[in-house]
Amino acid sequence: MVNLNAVLLISFALFSIGIAGVLIRRNALVILMCVELMLNAANLNFIAFARHSGSVSGQAFALLVMGFAAAEVAVGLALVVALYRKRDTVQVDDINLLKG
Amino acid sequence: MEHFIETIGRNMFAIFGVMALGGAAVVVASRSAVHSVLAFLFAMLCIAGCFLALEAEFLGMAQILVYAGGIVVLFLFVVMLVEVTKAKEKEVFQLQSRYAIGAVLLGVAAFSAVFRKVIFGAASPQALKLPENLAQGLNVAQQNAQAVSRGLFAGYLLPFEILSVVLLVALVGAVVLAKTERV
Repeated sequence: MVNLNAVLLISFALFSIGIAGVLIRRNALVILMCVELMLNAANLNFIAFARHSGSVSGQAFALLVMGFAAAEVAVGLALVVALYRKRDTVQVDDINLLKG
Repeated sequence: MEHFIETIGRNMFAIFGVMALGGAAVVVASRSAVHSVLAFLFAMLCIAGCFLALEAEFLGMAQILVYAGGIVVLFLFVVMLVEVTKAKEKEVFQLQSRYAIGAVLLGVAAFSAVFRKVIFGAASPQALKLPENLAQGLNVAQQNAQAVSRGLFAGYLLPFEILSVVLLVALVGAVVLAKTERV
């Protein structure tokens, strides 16, 4: 049986890498991928706790999270494409329409 | 040799987990977006391996199908569409990187302070283990999908249906956002 602490540590590290990527990268595509990494870290926790509490609720919810992640990626990538058409860039530093 | 294989089998989760962390690090650090996507694919496959090691067979397979089969391909398409080797990315990282890294490190420190006791402290009085009667649904490979479906359709039918509506809205929204405007 996998040690629960090991799972929590790995998913914590994965989440940290994801949040660091969101904060420090400029490329909108890479930022989207890092958001996916964070969602996967959460999924890992769901499954680990489902395993250790012996209920399937965690696994069912992980499946739901996976579906929401897919929806999020579809909309996010559509936004990136639309942005590229309008502004010719995917660097988030160049996108300052709301700055006034 | 047998002993070696046994050790690997017992530490399957740690192996896949560390490999996933490596892939994630490459996603963040690599300069080219295509390399990032490939590292992302690697990380997703390793996480699927983690799911398998946690005896969530159905979710592991779903992870491979959804991520490797769907999302990564979508990402690759957009990268090919958008990143037409313009080499516009003078700086890979943002100007505020230093502060961001500092903030993340602070969070890591705070979390480790909380976790220190759990990891290095005295072992908990009883290891977490499944009671026999509860373990049945999850234990056997061919029963995992059954157990998940029972949990999903018996306990969480409403969220499942809401998810289908959300997916439909996302589909329509993506089409509307990405379509070319006619003049």
